[in-house]
Amino acid sequence: MQVQKTHKSINQTQLIIKVTTAWHFLLSISGIFLIAYIIFPHGLKNIPVWLSYISAILIGLLSIGSFYSAFKLIKLQRQGRTASLVVNYIGLVVTALLFFQNLGIFLGVDALAKTFGSSIGWLSGVLLGYLVYTIGDRYHYRIQIEEMFHKIGKYIALIFFAIFLIKSGLFPALIYLAKQMILPSNFVILFVVIVFGLAIWSMWREPTALYLNRTNAQTEALEGYLFLSPNLIGFLIFFAFPLVFSFFISLTDWDAFGNSNFIGLANYFELFKLNLKQLANSTQDFFQVMDGSIFSELLRFNMFGKSYVLGAADARFWIALRNTLVFGIVTVPLSAIPALFLANILNSKIPGMKIFRAIYFLPSIAAVVGISLIWQWLYNATIGYINYFITVGLDFINSVFSTGYPQAQIRWLSESRTALLAIIIVSAWQTMGFNTVLFLAGLQNVPKELYEAATVDGAGRWAKFWKITLPLLAPTTFFVITTTTIQAFQVFEQVFIMTNPPGSPGTSTLTIVLYLYQNGFQRFQQGYAAAIAWVLFIVIFSVTLLQFRSQRKTGAYDV
Amino acid sequence: MKSFKLSRFITNMGAYIILTIFALVMLFPFIFMVATSLKTPDDTFNYPPRLLPREGVETTLEGFDKPVPLYHIDIEGVKRDFALVETGIPAGIYAELDDLSSTFSVPLDMVKPSASGDQFTLPDGTVQPIMDVPVNGTIMQLVQTGKTALGRFIDPKDFSREVFQVVRTSQPVTKVTAHPENYSHVMTMENMGRSLTNTILVTLFVVIGQLVTSVMGGYAFARLRFPGKDKLFVFYLGTIMIPFVMLIIPLYQLMVLFGWTDKLAALIFPWIFSAYGTFLMRQFFITVPKEIEEAALIDGASRFKILYNIFLPAAAPALATMATFTFLYAWNSFFWPLVIINTGNYENHVLTLTLNMLRGRASDSANLILAGAAISILPPFLLYILGQRFFIESAMSSGVKG
Repeated sequence: MQVQKTHKSINQTQLIIKVTTAWHFLLSISGIFLIAYIIFPHGLKNIPVWLSYISAILIGLLSIGSFYSAFKLIKLQRQGRTASLVVNYIGLVVTALLFFQNLGIFLGVDALAKTFGSSIGWLSGVLLGYLVYTIGDRYHYRIQIEEMFHKIGKYIALIFFAIFLIKSGLFPALIYLAKQMILPSNFVILFVVIVFGLAIWSMWREPTALYLNRTNAQTEALEGYLFLSPNLIGFLIFFAFPLVFSFFISLTDWDAFGNSNFIGLANYFELFKLNLKQLANSTQDFFQVMDGSIFSELLRFNMFGKSYVLGAADARFWIALRNTLVFGIVTVPLSAIPALFLANILNSKIPGMKIFRAIYFLPSIAAVVGISLIWQWLYNATIGYINYFITVGLDFINSVFSTGYPQAQIRWLSESRTALLAIIIVSAWQTMGFNTVLFLAGLQNVPKELYEAATVDGAGRWAKFWKITLPLLAPTTFFVITTTTIQAFQVFEQVFIMTNPPGSPGTSTLTIVLYLYQNGFQRFQQGYAAAIAWVLFIVIFSVTLLQFRSQRKTGAYDV
Repeated sequence: MKSFKLSRFITNMGAYIILTIFALVMLFPFIFMVATSLKTPDDTFNYPPRLLPREGVETTLEGFDKPVPLYHIDIEGVKRDFALVETGIPAGIYAELDDLSSTFSVPLDMVKPSASGDQFTLPDGTVQPIMDVPVNGTIMQLVQTGKTALGRFIDPKDFSREVFQVVRTSQPVTKVTAHPENYSHVMTMENMGRSLTNTILVTLFVVIGQLVTSVMGGYAFARLRFPGKDKLFVFYLGTIMIPFVMLIIPLYQLMVLFGWTDKLAALIFPWIFSAYGTFLMRQFFITVPKEIEEAALIDGASRFKILYNIFLPAAAPALATMATFTFLYAWNSFFWPLVIINTGNYENHVLTLTLNMLRGRASDSANLILAGAAISILPPFLLYILGQRFFIESAMSSGVKG
């Protein structure tokens, strides 16, 4: 009887494997048809060319994988199972995402947001349930009471969550989804989703796995990719692919309507096109020496008694690059040096340090937009506190040294000399506390014994700082400088909020990212904007590399 | 020994003074924000600026239907609170004959031509009659040099005591007040209420989504062996340093393709996958002892069960650290929403976008703008007070391990 049953189940498994093999043959053949349909010029017209190529390549790979797994499954080899699972899983994910997209589930967030405001209060009931649940933990010596609290807590949380869902419009949403389901296209996709799911089940079930001699390593590898898959798929779609795609876009003249022509490196040439001409005298008109329709004046300078003028095809880009570099070079030390100083004070164990640390950290958790709005008013020329403090300071100096400084009426954000400085101050102020916390963490890793030994040797405070603290803190310093630099080179929000129009006065606060934004989303020259992004990346990358090198050279002590 | 203690005390005092100065520098903008957000519009334009929200004091007087404002009036060196009962009284500026710079402003109808009928020639050549002008109870012979408008101030206790002086330069009696209704007002502007819910919703989704994907991915990287694992991990690590700006154009195109422009989905789904979070969770999971897991595996527990029952409870602090990090990122993000949510689509604005709109619409009402800023800044502060440790740790974890 037992043998018969086993025999029957083996027969069943063999049948399942055969059906799956047939499915894989079918899949690879239909894949080829699908490719032909996509690439054929009269096929799908409403999708961009690049997408049709990418999907063709993807489907091609899947078809090959599918064919391979069918081939291996005939031979009853375990690689066939792996390949089958991978292919079907990818198929399942892609079709399921398509299904959700067609149903409008992703856009359902908008509908949820409409009702969320009125239903959000019910979510506090879930918190209440959790609190009841945790009360139970106090009675761990009496298991019945503990379990009772846990149960009640769970029910309370569940009931409130259900009310929350209903209040958020669960029923209208379900009715909407049911209506969408009636559409034949959705029905077909759902059917395909189910078939992929069945195919996965057919290979995943234990009898099939045993029949195909699965190994522990194989199981673990499959489980590894299964666990990683939500992350990996998102990572590939929303990070790795866009990164490559960005380079492709930078080689085209992509515009607002998605029209694009491949133009090679023309965007980059345009960015870097410079022209140096000698001038007859230092005040000669720019247009006499250069073609004004192509070049505009970037800067004039004197060398060896002769005057030169430098023209650039895109002078604004060079100005933005200069502003960004200036911003980074000033902001980084302005936020790192006080931070190092403060961290050293905080590290001496006098009471109340935690409160100060907490206060210093505050600016770094606030939204840059909010911060910028606050500082915009602090910088106000007539009623702002910055000018007021300066005036008070000047009045004090005037009364002590009987000098005659006038009242401060600096128009911080609307004067080209001070605008960039104003933004630098805000950024340095905001990152200083964060850097202080980082330095403090680094300082706490420095062994106390070293200081004690140095004290015994008669080293002073400065000697200790220069000879012990700074070298041992080098890895932290490197990290602080690198991250602050990377952040500084991407400055955008402060400029966008605080200057009006952004980048004003003139071009004095125009930064690279702001210029990228203007090109990509105001003039909709997205190809050009992508090229700017790559230039910025190269700048950031080389600065990081430079810092990495210098850190190595100084031979940082790794603690 | 005593001198050691003294020098120590002085050092500590020095440290506290420096630390306090920096603490004030860090705190002042936020104090300014909260204080200004409670002010009346007039109060925001006061110079010299005053921190606390203040407002003029009014009083009700018999015979006046409306409450009248009180002013500090200086009478013979004594400051008294007088009520302003009438404004815009036509008045003349009268100067002494021998010293034209010594002037008095007196209402026109209180002045009579001098009995002598003499005339006086001003330096600019005009000829003015000499007038009898009542000044502080005495009549003086003065000449008119200009015109002005005065306010009539009376003593609330004794209506007959009145003073005339220029309202603009008079010092009003003020008291510290608060106008929390600025907040409810700003919530109705630019759809701020809706954008607050949107922000909460987006942040919730992003935090939960990132926790789920990072925990699963981190577990796989920490504990499971699969081909290509090390290369993939290095690839993940490498991308942490890549600036977001690189992705903005292609991601925008991707959103156009998905039909997610102007939709909240664009603010959520691309952001629930984080290489950094995965790395953080992996770093934590690698420290969990292997033996517990192996025992569970032998007992036949599935990987999901192990992750859920063994790893997750142990990872609570790491999860909280990551959650705060993600929360700040999602709550404060501005660039991506600015790009992907059109300015016209108020429905799907998040707080930072609304603040940007508010800046344009209420550009001269500091109280409203800063109330808006406070709505966006104070919730993270509240969480920070509750779970300071996790915020600080999320900062430290980025530095020490990276």
